[in-house]
Amino acid sequence: MEPPENSNKDSNGFEMAEKIILRWDSTASEDARERMIFETDRQEADLYLQAVDEIQRSLSNASISSSSNNNTVSTGGDDQSKVNTTIQIAMARLEDEFRNILLTHTSALETDSLFDPTSSAASTPHAQEFEEDDNSLSHHSTSSNSLLNLQHCESSDSSSYRSTSSIREVDLMPAEAIADLQAIAMRMISSGYLRECIQVYGSVRKSAVDSSFRKLGIEKLSIGDIQRLEWEALESKIRRWIRAAKVCIRILFASEKRLCEQIFECVGTDIDDACFMETVKGPAIQLFNFAEAISISRRSPEKLFKILDLHDALMDLLPDIEAVFDSKSSDSIRVQAAEILSRLAEAARGILSEFENAVLREPSRVPVPGGTIHPLTRYVMNYISLISDYKQTLIELIMSKPSTGSRYSGDPSTPDMEFAELEGKTPLALHLIWIIVILQFNLDGKSKHYRDASLAHLFMMNNVHYIVQKVKGSPELREMIGDDYLRKLTGKFRQSATSYQRATWVNVLYCLRDEGLHVSGGFSSGVSKSALRERFKTFNAMFEDVHRTQATWLIPDAQLREELRISISEKLLPAYRSFLGRFRSHIESGKHPENYIKYSVEDLETAVLDFFEGYPVSQHLRRRSQ
Amino acid sequence: MPATDYQGSSAPLTNLGRSLLSLRRDQVHAMESHHDGSSAASLEVELESFQRQVADRFHDLSSVPSDELLSLPWVRKLLDVFLVCQEEFRVILSNNRAQVNRPPMDRLVADFYERSVKALDVCNAIRDGIEQIRQWEKLLEIVLCALGDTSNVNNNSNTNINNGNCYQRTLGEGQFRRAKKALIDLAIGMLDEKDSGQALAHRNRSFGRNNNSGSHSRDHHHRSLGHFRSLSWSVSRSWSAARQLQAIGNNLTAPRGNEVVASNGLAMPVFTMGCVLLFVMWALVAAIPCQDRGLQVHFYIPRQFSWAAPILSLHEKILEESKKRDRKNACGLLREIYQMEKCSRLLGELADSVQFPLNEEKEAEVRQRVKELGHVCEAMKEGLEPLEKQVREVFHRIVRSRTEGLDSLGRHNAE
Repeated sequence: MEPPENSNKDSNGFEMAEKIILRWDSTASEDARERMIFETDRQEADLYLQAVDEIQRSLSNASISSSSNNNTVSTGGDDQSKVNTTIQIAMARLEDEFRNILLTHTSALETDSLFDPTSSAASTPHAQEFEEDDNSLSHHSTSSNSLLNLQHCESSDSSSYRSTSSIREVDLMPAEAIADLQAIAMRMISSGYLRECIQVYGSVRKSAVDSSFRKLGIEKLSIGDIQRLEWEALESKIRRWIRAAKVCIRILFASEKRLCEQIFECVGTDIDDACFMETVKGPAIQLFNFAEAISISRRSPEKLFKILDLHDALMDLLPDIEAVFDSKSSDSIRVQAAEILSRLAEAARGILSEFENAVLREPSRVPVPGGTIHPLTRYVMNYISLISDYKQTLIELIMSKPSTGSRYSGDPSTPDMEFAELEGKTPLALHLIWIIVILQFNLDGKSKHYRDASLAHLFMMNNVHYIVQKVKGSPELREMIGDDYLRKLTGKFRQSATSYQRATWVNVLYCLRDEGLHVSGGFSSGVSKSALRERFKTFNAMFEDVHRTQATWLIPDAQLREELRISISEKLLPAYRSFLGRFRSHIESGKHPENYIKYSVEDLETAVLDFFEGYPVSQHLRRRSQ
Repeated sequence: MPATDYQGSSAPLTNLGRSLLSLRRDQVHAMESHHDGSSAASLEVELESFQRQVADRFHDLSSVPSDELLSLPWVRKLLDVFLVCQEEFRVILSNNRAQVNRPPMDRLVADFYERSVKALDVCNAIRDGIEQIRQWEKLLEIVLCALGDTSNVNNNSNTNINNGNCYQRTLGEGQFRRAKKALIDLAIGMLDEKDSGQALAHRNRSFGRNNNSGSHSRDHHHRSLGHFRSLSWSVSRSWSAARQLQAIGNNLTAPRGNEVVASNGLAMPVFTMGCVLLFVMWALVAAIPCQDRGLQVHFYIPRQFSWAAPILSLHEKILEESKKRDRKNACGLLREIYQMEKCSRLLGELADSVQFPLNEEKEAEVRQRVKELGHVCEAMKEGLEPLEKQVREVFHRIVRSRTEGLDSLGRHNAE
């Protein structure tokens, strides 16, 4: 073989280099196959890299000489082919080394430590703890969220950038490994083996991400799977997803991205992006598929708050998603996240209007015994006070007024609501008021199913009073509903109380009137004894009946109960006292006065205390002051 | 062909289609109490036009030459057809809200939404499948890079990665080694999951690769390719495209005469759209790799529907395709996959047989194969990304129309 025009030194260099590379040809010897250079022999690794450089140099020399010198074209071609073969051997070797270094450092140990701080909350599923956790999530009180306090160690420069961004990269690999990977990547890429490099990198890191996913509890669920799950099971999955997504975006993906940058950034443009997307595109899609499935699941009222949690979490993550997936090639990930966010918002709006429909048409007809608070009232009021807890988010999401108005006007199946007097309120506040309006409307309908009109009024009084108390009990709710509307509600339950009193007591008190007792035109005292006796008997019977019945009725609020009893006593007792004063003598002068005057004023006063306690009185009303 | 002919004993079904429309025409007078005359007539026009449009579009799809059927452009056209049909269907429903919210339409439409939400999982699975094809395409690029000439590779490169370093001009042993590696990875990647085990050994033999070649990390590499595939599915391991298709087609039957009458004819487009949905999803599963593909879905479409013939004929052609000897075990019937598989196999066999230095004849043959491979690669590059976007669009449209429909049904129930 004719030596090329290169200097002897170069040619020697080439032969040395070739020797090293052939020594490590894994198809040629057992030893080369079994041992990894970078793993076992630092010095040899450096020699190997130098050898590759040397071969690359000869390759470019060879191609120059072969194209510039026609005479040596065949030998040049031979040489080139030989160099090429050597390069292929070297690249195959480097690919294996590259893979091996990656594999050696794929332990998912990092994610282990990521999840430790939360594991206490995750492993003790006490409702309370979860609730606390929820609140912290939904209120963005990041200070209590241990996930976000992780890995501070790295950010010694806790500048304002660091503290506002929640991204916390961790080192996925030691610096030496990164340096080796970089050295290899550089040579693979300069020899035209970029694709192999990305391929290997992606496949190894992808399975590393996959095992982290499993540690984080991110499952592969189809939309069908998610639709089949019970809501309760789904709720805990949503909670877990929110936690996991934060770790994924801010730590896992962010760290993967940084690793790509560390290895590839100085090697060539956009290679780091290509490697990053190769690694995380699949996992990111898998991650988002869950939230997407939730966002399109059937809308029902109980889902609202978890959907809002998910929405808030994603909203909170969005800037970080945009930061991590900022390249052109990761466009689809950013787009998907934004789509899910807007679907969740849409779902929240849809659920709110579903809820309104549900409140309006809640169909139970069986009256609650004793006229107490209907379960619907409790449910609705708890629901809207939860809504007020999510005020911040919902004010942003609820942009249109409730769908009432002209469309419903004149429709007897829907209540009216005047928006004119509620000007200046947010659409969310209008929705809340609207929900209270339709709740009352529904309750009004339900009250008609009581046979006793008094009980119907008592029922309305109880329920509206409960609504008022709930609104007053939550500063957020009170602020949104507003004092004007609250006054209206208060007026309404007072009106019900008055109506109740009228319905029950007008007839009872009617017994105690003077009219009809005096015999007109007579010369004697002018009181008809028989009429008077009849009056007392009617009064006694009526009062006993009211007492027996209304003792079983219930006013759960102690103060309201007390107030109503006082109000009853204030009307009943003076009337009875004066009636007794005027007519007692006429009865007592006759036979068996005790048959007519059965009760003293004090007896009645005591009897009123039995009212609205919700139990039947043990005995018939007796004269107790004997 | 069980799927094509529905010759059930149930007499009313045998003269469905046209006859139902005319039956409905007779009933128009009875319906005018609900509907004023002019809108009843315009509804009729609307419905008939929908039927005709669907028929025309599928006729177009079915009349392509056999070498275009199941190609990437054809699949994209299929999805376009779906999107247009879906949009027209949506408009029909929203133009006839009052009718849609009444029985039996409320139930029929709700059924349709149930069906369509099942198609979303297919869309996601197909998206994974497209990603998978992309992985293969990347392996092909390595082959092209190894055996192709520089210009060819650079034309093929749509990545903005600065990589003009595929400078080989002569074909030496080195280049073949490199190409063979990629070809083996490709072959393993393309194996259907079911037979990956035994076929892996076979592949290795057929590529003349001694089994003890490669280091342990390379062994890991091969194992991990199978693993890699499982990683690329975003659905659970138990998810099955075949079962999903069956669920979509469950109880999909032509509306009965009384339903057509009671719905003012609107039951017809619901059934039509149900069939279009099922067929399009079925064809996607046929074409694109996904988990547990299976094509045993029956299409009970009465022949009297004007679109029945083209759809059933397409169904038949695709089934025939799937039964061809060399396609039986294919991971997807997409024409480009087939070409990719064929080209890479031939090239692999060639690579195993060549002696170095290469004689001119062999070299020309290799160049020819590489050129073919280059064409396939090109087609993939052009088609896969738009296809992925379209699949996503199908997903969005299904969600949107369902949300719209459910909202309206919900509001209606409240009134």
